Formats: sequence, C-alpha cells, structure tokens
Amino acid sequence: MKFKDKHRFVRSNMKRNKTRVWMTILASTMGCAFLIMLASVGFAIHKTAVDDVMSYRLMNEIEIQNDNGPLVEEDVKKLQDIKNVKAVSRKKYVPASEMTLGEYTVYAEVNSVNMPSERKAGLQLEKGRMPKSKNEIIIGHHFAQELRKEMPENFTEGMSDEEAQKEMKKFAYDGDLLNQTLTYHMKVDNPDIKTETQIKTVQVKVVGIKEKPKKEWMTDSSVMITDDLHSEIMPLLTEIDPELKNSDDSYTSVRVYTSSAEDVKEVSEKIKDKGYLTYSVVSELKELNIYFTLFKAGLIFIGAIAVLIASIGIFNTMTMAVTERSQDIGIMKAIGATPKTIKRIFLLESGYIGLWGVGLGTILAYLISYGINFALPIIVEQFMNEKPPEDFILSYIPWSLTVIAVTICMSVTLLSGWRPAAKATTVDVLKALRRDV
Amino acid sequence: MITVRNLSYAFKIGKKEKENIVPVLHHVDLQVAEGEIVAIVGRSGSGKSTLLNLISGFIKSQTGDITIDGQQVSKLSESKWAEFRLEHLGFIFQSFQLIPSMTAFENVELPLVLKGVSEKERKDQTMKMLKKVGLEKYQSHYPGELSGGQQQRVSIARALILNPPLILADEPTGSLDSENEKELLNFIKELNEKDGITFLIITHDHEVASIAHRKVEIRDGYLREGSKLHEVQR
Ligand SMILES: Nc1ncnc2c1ncn2[C@@H]1O[C@H](COP(=O)(O)OP(=O)(O)OP(=O)(O)O)[C@@H](O)[C@H]1O
Ligand SMILES: [Mg+2]
Repeated sequence: MKFKDKHRFVRSNMKRNKTRVWMTILASTMGCAFLIMLASVGFAIHKTAVDDVMSYRLMNEIEIQNDNGPLVEEDVKKLQDIKNVKAVSRKKYVPASEMTLGEYTVYAEVNSVNMPSERKAGLQLEKGRMPKSKNEIIIGHHFAQELRKEMPENFTEGMSDEEAQKEMKKFAYDGDLLNQTLTYHMKVDNPDIKTETQIKTVQVKVVGIKEKPKKEWMTDSSVMITDDLHSEIMPLLTEIDPELKNSDDSYTSVRVYTSSAEDVKEVSEKIKDKGYLTYSVVSELKELNIYFTLFKAGLIFIGAIAVLIASIGIFNTMTMAVTERSQDIGIMKAIGATPKTIKRIFLLESGYIGLWGVGLGTILAYLISYGINFALPIIVEQFMNEKPPEDFILSYIPWSLTVIAVTICMSVTLLSGWRPAAKATTVDVLKALRRDV
Repeated sequence: MITVRNLSYAFKIGKKEKENIVPVLHHVDLQVAEGEIVAIVGRSGSGKSTLLNLISGFIKSQTGDITIDGQQVSKLSESKWAEFRLEHLGFIFQSFQLIPSMTAFENVELPLVLKGVSEKERKDQTMKMLKKVGLEKYQSHYPGELSGGQQQRVSIARALILNPPLILADEPTGSLDSENEKELLNFIKELNEKDGITFLIITHDHEVASIAHRKVEIRDGYLREGSKLHEVQR
C-alpha cells in the first residue's frame, strides 16, 4: 500500500469522527503548549542570567587579583609572558577628579591606563582616536552630561528623581567635547586635606570618546589618561597628600585578555599556577549553566507529565478507533492486507493527531510567549508603578526547546498509539467477518 | 490448483484450565484441478466452512498440508499469507463483507490499493470491472444504498479485480433470491469457461451443485469424494 493511499485512508477515517479527533488534538495541543511554556520560563531566566553576566564582561576576559596586596608592573610582565595572552589591561586610580571647561565642572573617575594594551584588549571608540601623546585623554560616553554649570544651592530639593535628572540636564554641556581642551585640577579627593597653596592645573585634550555601555542603565563618565601623564601628576599630588606615595605604582585593576574565549580556561590555569586569583565569565558561566540546565530539565520533566496525560487521550481515541473499525480491519485482512499495513495505518492516524497537537501547541506557545513578554512590562508598570528591568523577558523559546518539545510530544504520541495499532493487527478475521467483535 | 493432504482441525473451547477440544475435521485429502468448479456440500455443522477457512488461511492447522497454485501455504507466516491471498485468491462471502464506509468503487478498488497500483491504473481497472458486473452507474453508492444482489456483484468485482486464479466462496447465494442466485451462478460459469478461473464453492443447494464439475461431501468431519457431475471444459 502506497503512503499516499494510507494518508487518504487515514484522512477519511479521521473525518468520520471529527469531534473526537479534534478533542484529542486539543488535549495534545494543550499538553505540548504547557510543556513549552513552562520550560520557556526556565530558558528565559537562564538567558537573562547569562546575558547579564556577559554584559559586564567580555568572554575572553580574566580578572586577576593577588592574595597579598595589589599587583605591580612586575606581575604584569609575568602575565604578558603567558601563551595566548593577547593583552594585559591595567588601571591605576588617580585620586584627583576635578576637570573644568570654562564655567563647566565635572568630578570624574580618572584612571591611568596603558593605551596600546587597552587597544589590544578591545577598547572601542565611538569617536576620535587613541591618545598618541602624554596630555591626550579618552572620556566615557556620558562624560558630557556630568559636565555641568554650577547649579543654585539646594536646586533639586523637593523634586522627584526623574524631575531632578531632567532639570540637571539643562545645566549640562551640550556641545561636542572631541578635541576640546579641559583643565585638570591637581586637587586630592581626600576631604581631610586642606590645600593652602595655589592649586596647580594640567591641560588635557579629549581625543577619543568611548562607546556607549551595552546596558541602558549603565553610565560611563570616566576618564582614561596616559601612563606618562600619570607619572607627571603623581608627584604633584603627593606634594599635597604624602600618603599617596605608597600606592604610587600599584594597579587597582588588572585584566588579562586571551586571543579567544576557548583559551580562557587554559590561561586561567596557568595564571593560577603562578599564584594569582582569577575570575572569568567563562568560569562563572560554567557554574551558571550547570545550575540552569538542571533547572530547565526539571521544568521539562514536569511539562512532559502534561504531555503524558494528553497521550492518554490519544490512547483512548485510537483504542476506540480500532474497536469501531475491527470489521473493516477483518475484511481488509481477509482480502490480503498485511499486519504491517494495518499497523502503519493506525500509527499514521495517531501520528497525525500528535502532529496536529504538536504543531498547534507550538504555535500557541509562541503566541502566548510573545503575548506575555509584550504584556508583562505594561502590567508591571500599571500596577506597581515601576519600570521592569530592561530586556526583561519571562518566556524565551529557543529553537532547541522547540526541538526538545516536539521530540517529547511525538515520541509520547507514537508510544501511546503503538498498543492500539498492535491490537488492530491481532483482529481475528473470522470473528470480524461474523461481526462478533 | 489445490492440494489438501491429511488435514485435521480441532477447535479449542474454554479457558486454559478447562480447555475443551472439539475435533471438526479428520484427515481430509482434497485435490482441485485447474479450471474446475468444485462444490463442497454437507449438513450444517459438518465442517465445510472450517475447511474453506483453513484453505483461505483465516485459521491455521498444526497438522496436514495445503498447497495452492504450487505454493505450500500451510507453513506461511501471517504477513506472507496475506500477500499470497491478495495475489492468488478471490473471496465471495454469503454476507458480502463490503466495507460500509466505502463506495462501491472504493470497495472494488481496495485490493489494487493494497497492492500499491497507481491511481490512474486503478481507476481504469476498477471502472472496467464495475462495467463487467453491470454496476458502472452505482460506483459512488455505499453498500447500504445497494440491493443484496448488487452488493454481491460488488464483492465479486472486488474478488476478481486482481485476476486471481482461484476463487473461494462460502455459500455465495445464501443471501440472494432465486433470480439473483441464477444470475450469479451463470456468471460463475461464464468466468470459469472464459477466464479459466477455478472455483471452490460451499453450498447447501442443488442449484449451485449443478454448475459444479464435481461435488465433495463432508460428513462429520470426514471428506467423501462425490460423483463427477460434468466434464471440465477447456
Ligand atoms: N469458532 C469456533 N469455535 C468453536 N467451535 C466452532 C467454531 N466455529 C465452528 N465451530 C464448530 O465446528 C463445527 C463445524 O463448523 P462449520 O462452521 O465448519 O460448519 P459448516 O459446515 O460450515 O456449517 P453451516 O453449513 O451451518 O455453515 C461446528 O460443530 C461448530 O460448532
Ligand atoms: Mg458454514
């Protein structure tokens, strides 16, 4: 018997019992949609967690720390010698934060960095270029909005956060800062120290502006200065605060960048062997992934129970179909239909029911998922008067989940259709012809 | 065409512990030559249907030996038996055994569908066969919308569609009135003479036995060769 004929045969059989078939399909649809929806929540949380981790760091980044005190130039040299290390980014915090441009003032986080290493580590500029000479600097994307004219005393008092931010924007510098020269004031942050002498200043030129941070809520108004400028201004600052002498050559942050994410594990091991502490996204993701994979497996397991319940419906429907049609089966067997043909016909029927259920269930799950992700932020905003976190999703259906769900649903369907189909092959020809089955 | 040797059969009745064995056929030997019409007669309950069901493969015997058209069928597996039936045997039943949810056309077409014949070829052959039994106008009627005689003609068309060399019939005229019965018998005779189809027919009445070349009688499970009635015409 050709497949096309089996298909036609099954179709006409299904049409004869439309209501029953559709109810069974409905049950499978619900089971399948439930499985996908439930698991999609796990997938969404996992994705959010992974995205979150990765939004702060790069995959090929390893943060280095030392058990006993800060790292110094000698440590950097050791790290640079390790195979597959592309760059070692190191920062020194500069304890002077005030910069001005005319009547505008900013208090920025200033770090001195090794510019070539930053470039190699993957620093991206939105505008401009990397510094080439001592007094050239790079500023963060949000630097300009922190550069403000002086505001009246207690200006933001009584305003809501939102209002205050809006009002403060009016005082911010709104021109292009690229190639502008700022005045860097050699004032120490330490409030205990009062300077009597005249404050010295250094002129710095903005040559590059960093890219916007990946997350909407992150702001970057920091400043990167060159190593050379750091060497020049530190003596000036130590004059004011002699304590600074001690931390002069220690790095506040050292990060190693490998050539690719695959090298992170090996390089991390080597760095650990040299006695440092390491932290990388890769190692954190590994733990995160194990945890969430178990979590998702649990959800899929619970969802599969719904599919299993739906499959009881398929089992019932198919058993009834076989019983109803046992006379037809008997006649077909008498004429010369092989048990294999009979079995295939009934398996095909349960397969179609399952396929419809899975198809509709998947579509339904996608619709619900889309709907929830669309509606939830609106609901949260309406009832809690609060914005949900950006990029927040409650349900995420990657293709892998669809594949898993379809596989589970179809296997369960075929399994539940198996026994009725096998029963169909055992219909006794004589009993069927005598019409007493 | 058919050779039955030393065939015995007993029904098992009841549950395993209190099983009752009812012997029905005893050491039956039967030969049917190609082109013959053989009538099996005997009293009700004598085992005629049982013998035919064994030859059809609907039931299986542990003892004895059946060969049909050169193929030793008694040892075949269930699916091989089914394939053999489809190709070599045609069936006519007392109660027609048409599938009620299929039209006359679809019922006749069924063996071709099972064999996997292409749709176009199926249509040609089925229409030709319906014409042969005079039912081309009724092709889209369901069995419930046909008279008994018409239904029997549909079932004959179905039996003939794959040109089997042998047709087995268990009281084919049992549900027909005398006019339809006469018509059917003439048709059988015609098929036998024109196409050389061999028939093995179970029957009560003498009319049917009258078209047979030979008559065998079953009495209490034993087969007796009856007298030759007609010469086989070749
Ligand atoms: N399925 C069965 N289980 C048990 N015994 C059976 C079964 N079928 C038939 N028999 C018995 O086998 C014997 C022969 O039955 P069979 O149907 O072969 O008779 P028959 O010659 O065809 O009779 P009839 O002319 O009435 O159709 C009967 O005694 C019957 O009771
Ligand atoms: Mg009988």
